[in-house]
Amino acid sequence: MTDISNSPAPAAGWTTPEASARLRRRRRAETRLKLVGMGAIGFAFLMLAVLIGSLTLSGWHAFTQSHARITVTLAPEYINTDDLRRSDFRGLLRATMAERLGEGEAAAAELRRMGAILSNGAQSALRERLVAKPALAGQTLTLRVPLADPYDQLNKGLIDRDTPENIRRLSDREIGWFDALKAEGAISRPLNFGLLTNADSRFPELAGLRGALVGSLYALLTCFLLSFPIGIGAAIWLEEFAPKNRMSDLIEVNINNLAAVPSVVFGLLALAVFLGWFGMPRSAPFVGGMTLALMTLPTIIIATRAALKAVPPSIREAAMGLGASKQQVVFQHVLPLAMPGILTGTIIGLAQALGETAPLLLIGMNAFVTAAPATPFDPSTALPTQIFIWADSPERGFVSRTSAAILVLLGFLIAMNALAIFLRSKFERKW
Amino acid sequence: MRGEPQVNDMRPLDRSLDLDEAKITARDVQVYYAETHALKDVSIDIADKTVTAFIGPSGCGKSTFLRCLNRMNDTIDICRVEGTITLDGQDIYDPRVDPVQLRARVGMVFQKPNPFPKSIYDNVAYGPRIHGLARDRAELDAIVEKSLRRAALWDEVKDRLTAPGTGLSGGQQQRLCIARAVATSPEVLLMDEPCSALDPIATAQVEELIDELRSRFAVVIVTHSMQQAARVSQRTAFFHLGRLVEFGETGHIFTNPQDPRTESYITGRIG
Repeated sequence: MTDISNSPAPAAGWTTPEASARLRRRRRAETRLKLVGMGAIGFAFLMLAVLIGSLTLSGWHAFTQSHARITVTLAPEYINTDDLRRSDFRGLLRATMAERLGEGEAAAAELRRMGAILSNGAQSALRERLVAKPALAGQTLTLRVPLADPYDQLNKGLIDRDTPENIRRLSDREIGWFDALKAEGAISRPLNFGLLTNADSRFPELAGLRGALVGSLYALLTCFLLSFPIGIGAAIWLEEFAPKNRMSDLIEVNINNLAAVPSVVFGLLALAVFLGWFGMPRSAPFVGGMTLALMTLPTIIIATRAALKAVPPSIREAAMGLGASKQQVVFQHVLPLAMPGILTGTIIGLAQALGETAPLLLIGMNAFVTAAPATPFDPSTALPTQIFIWADSPERGFVSRTSAAILVLLGFLIAMNALAIFLRSKFERKW
Repeated sequence: MRGEPQVNDMRPLDRSLDLDEAKITARDVQVYYAETHALKDVSIDIADKTVTAFIGPSGCGKSTFLRCLNRMNDTIDICRVEGTITLDGQDIYDPRVDPVQLRARVGMVFQKPNPFPKSIYDNVAYGPRIHGLARDRAELDAIVEKSLRRAALWDEVKDRLTAPGTGLSGGQQQRLCIARAVATSPEVLLMDEPCSALDPIATAQVEELIDELRSRFAVVIVTHSMQQAARVSQRTAFFHLGRLVEFGETGHIFTNPQDPRTESYITGRIG
């Protein structure tokens, strides 16, 4: 047996060299940790900046569109008086351009090339004007119409004039025509509102996101209307009313697993069940929304349960102690206090749904649709599938439009997240 | 500490007790949390218009027993209660008794002040509203005022009834919770360590209030402070390791305990 009092007391020397070395080591470890953390954040921000930067760099061209101002005389020989819609607008525009460029007696091939300076949209613009006001026949109009994609690219400096002519998109002759128009001041480059107000088109200069925006809106609305009440209901039952036993454990595990299921699987499910068994319409935003709701449900249920759990038990006890029934406790006290968390979870779930592509591809929402859907049951695309379609298109104009569409999508996501933060701070209550 | 009250409570033999009327009767109550036998063979008669204090070391079962009296233990899944507890002769664990109604008759004040994140008015009016105790707004106003007066809070908050209840000080919050509990006109008021989160001045205010509440309700208070039990209660029950060791007039318990465990506890040897 050793006598404790005889054994040397542990050196409590805070000033010994070992002690200060220990202290320095600890400080160094802390500094290292801080640097690693800052490095990680910095790297994340750098990647974000690269992403946004590259998108903006290639996408900003799509936010403007080159237009030409032309003066057209609706000469009677081109107008079909029986059916104004079937008038020869193409021929009229070709002749107008030829005259404008001072090549009145050009061959048919030349005429075609001159007509191709203007977008196909020029013919429809002319048609709309005439049909709306037949009295215009024989009169002279001044119109501002979009340039066709190659000339738009040329105007934006995306076609290198030094490239040998045989491999260049536009010949020297065509560039000459364009320069002549430009010298006259007929070419302008206003903001491209068509990007948001036009539906999809084969021609990049006419293609817009309207169909995709409306389709996404309908799909998200369907998704919200289905997943929000069902998700909250399921979460309340599971959290507040369900008996805690094997069955509820099983349900919980399955819901958590469901949140991790790849979205393409939900797409296959929707294809088999919604389209296959129930024969719902293909490419419809309503069906897309139902598919997205399947995906969003687990997210909402998990977020709602977490929010319900976070309500302090003292509030439940207080209400229960006053003789409130379970249902009154839940709906008058717990749910209002959990609302900020529930809304945040829901909006994050919806934001996820907004960007989801795979399930929509499987139910055919990547169709080529040139009109915005009038109802949720009409075929349409959604923002992510529209990006997918454009990214696949060969025309040069779609390159910048793809980036622009991604920027629009990101803008919506940021707006939704900002809304989530706003709602959270608005409804948050202290206790 | 608090100034000497009108009646010197430390001379308990002088206190007048109404011992005939048992408001709550418990017989052979057992409580199990899953496999744990938390409360064993508790039999006690709680008198009306009396403050009954439950004392004992932590984990002795006094709060558990208190929560049996308004069936708050029902909300804990693993909790099981056996034996009989009657309120005015009626078994409160009878399947025909609705715990929701029972809790309106047996009010409760908790350890930590827990006002709802609503206005002071809505806090007090909540109980009367859900039980339909007021026919119109004027009646509700009257109930709120009466309850706040009973909780000795009216003068402090009458000008800011719409202010959030959570903005009050700790002591005021606890008195708000008492006002909220008395607003449903309960017959019994259960208090689970109502002063443990309060400073001495707020504690003194709440203790004075408890003494006044005695004129209308049977009050049962769980407390860790033996001084508090001695100050506010007429009868004291000492719990130890899940058993009711001794129950009697507060004066007897503190001056002449019959059980050696009680004596050890009040002299500070266990607990």
